[in-house]
Amino acid sequence: MNPLFTIRQGSTANWVLRIVVSLAVVFVLLWVPRQGGGLITTTIEALTLMSAAMALNLVLGYAGQISIGHSAFLGVGAYTTGIMVSRWDLSPWLTFPVAFVIAFVVGVIVSFPASRIKGVYLALVTLALGLVFPYLLTWKKLAWLTGGGAGLPNSDSELATTGFDIGLAQKGKMQYFEIFGWDAFGDLRKPEAKAAFWYWIALVVAVVVYLVCRGVVKSRVGRSLVAIRDNETAAAVMGVNLVRTKALVFGVSAGLCALPGCVIAIKTGGVSPEGILSLTVRGAITFLIVMVIGGAGSLWGPVIGALLYTFVTDKTGEWANDSAIPGVLRPLFAWAQIPPADGMFAILLIVLMFVAPHGLAGTWRQYSQRVVRIVPRPAGAVGAAPAAPPSDPH
Amino acid sequence: MEVFLQRLVDGLSYGSVYALIALGLVIIYRGTGHLNFAQGEMALFATYCVYQFGEWGIPVWIALFLGMGVGFVVGAVSEVALVRPVSKKSPFAVFVVTLGLFTFLNWLDGAIWGGQQLPSSAMGSTQLRFPSLFPAEADALWNVFGVAIRQERVGILAMVLVISGLLYLLFNRTKFGLAMRAVASNTESAKLVGIRTNVVLMVSWGLAAAIGTVGGVVMAGLNSNVNLGLMFTVFIYGSAAATLGGFDSPGGAVAGGLIIGVVENMAAGYAQEWIGQEMKLAVAFLVILGVLLVRPSGLFGTAKVERV
Repeated sequence: MNPLFTIRQGSTANWVLRIVVSLAVVFVLLWVPRQGGGLITTTIEALTLMSAAMALNLVLGYAGQISIGHSAFLGVGAYTTGIMVSRWDLSPWLTFPVAFVIAFVVGVIVSFPASRIKGVYLALVTLALGLVFPYLLTWKKLAWLTGGGAGLPNSDSELATTGFDIGLAQKGKMQYFEIFGWDAFGDLRKPEAKAAFWYWIALVVAVVVYLVCRGVVKSRVGRSLVAIRDNETAAAVMGVNLVRTKALVFGVSAGLCALPGCVIAIKTGGVSPEGILSLTVRGAITFLIVMVIGGAGSLWGPVIGALLYTFVTDKTGEWANDSAIPGVLRPLFAWAQIPPADGMFAILLIVLMFVAPHGLAGTWRQYSQRVVRIVPRPAGAVGAAPAAPPSDPH
Repeated sequence: MEVFLQRLVDGLSYGSVYALIALGLVIIYRGTGHLNFAQGEMALFATYCVYQFGEWGIPVWIALFLGMGVGFVVGAVSEVALVRPVSKKSPFAVFVVTLGLFTFLNWLDGAIWGGQQLPSSAMGSTQLRFPSLFPAEADALWNVFGVAIRQERVGILAMVLVISGLLYLLFNRTKFGLAMRAVASNTESAKLVGIRTNVVLMVSWGLAAAIGTVGGVVMAGLNSNVNLGLMFTVFIYGSAAATLGGFDSPGGAVAGGLIIGVVENMAAGYAQEWIGQEMKLAVAFLVILGVLLVRPSGLFGTAKVERV
């Protein structure tokens, strides 16, 4: 079918489109912290969730290794921040690289069984890992480090006050970002200034995770991952080192997944197995649902999925109380005693597996091409690369 | 000695629950080669139904059979309506669908009977009182070699052995069992000799969910309450049991379940310093990991030959 518009890559129209889209994104990103209140909290949740889902996407969407244990990696990140800041009084900034390295090592260790255990068996092992992890945190033998069941304290720690020293600022004091009197990053002087600050951290983490994922996927390693997913034997025959590639992707994915954990720890102001839902196995299942709904094996899939999931969950959060349901929908949901979001997403997940296995991102790609198609520069032009056909996750 | 025997009996009764869940997993795996992640939650839904029947004044044993009927329908409908159509696409799609069922059923339980969805434990959930199938009063004891053993525990073990025996007869002595084994060994050939494989698979899923229901009811009886987190860990223990016994061996599942139950209870009891109640689950995790790494076919399963 011929699209309505055809735009050639690198043409003026293409650049105009790119600039308009980028400006719109930047505008939204700057607009959110100025709203404050509920929106900013929800957006932080969406950003952390999408970071974790993007990290999972590397392992599951691209390399085809099912993992329901990524909550453990996120927990490693959260506890790294908690322990370093609260026990050893180190700067929260330092915890991000340290968490990445520790989780990277853990991920590499997990990858070794993954090179022997395949398919749903790997799912089983990782599910067990995800279930055991919170218990490991409460283990008596590790209490000297993790604080046991109570976790690490909320009060009296640097985490709680978020005395984030930006640059050389004094400890315990917030630095203001003002550009000619205009607070570009949201008003940091209000009591809810912390939220704006966390928002920027979460955003930077999400962008970093996206860029790293993009870098991995578009590289030689990324192509070996897809080869492993589509046919492991063939990939090995073609010269892909299975063990090394899997170790690398698990390590990078785990390391990236730890970063939103750090953000959550800083935002929560303390870490405990019960306080952070994302480090339990339900968190891992949420990452998976978000990723598959958004689109496994696509870079933007987890972003779309996480935004949808967080905002729908937020909007329907009060629906256990019947009078909070908007009139038309009341007969549909009034019987349920808990908010309907989880059930709705479970149904959406199952339905999508039937009608659109590539998730929302795949569906978007399919239909948007009927309106606008961006075609690559003709062969022979400098730097021309043929457009990849939509890849097939699994 | 007394403590040892009591721990043994405790382990056997919890192991019975794991054996029942594992049996369900094995029946489905033999038929279709899928691992049903929703096994525990199907059982939990039916267990909630048993609770509801009890609330309506139906005696617990009759409620159990009604609940098994509900479980059978849930399992069979899931297979026909969801798993079968999607299994033509890819194993990953089946995995996602069972995971979707897992989430949906857990949410549905909460929506109907109330309670917060739980991360990993039963703490803070709405707990509904659940009756035991067998006399569970403090004085319902039998004296065996001077050791007081609760009748409830013995009853559970006996029931699991009876169910396993009935299943053995079903598999090995009936025409339907023959058809099931034929489908398990080669679906295409079974179809060619006139076995209605669709019916066999549907009944397999229903049967698995019905057996799981018994496990759920027994577990709820042991805890004397039912809550949304009840089957989270039981499913992992059940999978560990199925892995240990071999994913295609019903006898192995029962043996595996009992072994896991006993080992887990002994470990928690005798290594209180290191394992205790919190780290019991790590035993299951290590069993799954160890068996899959060292001997993927389990104790009683048939080794799979992979052709490259």
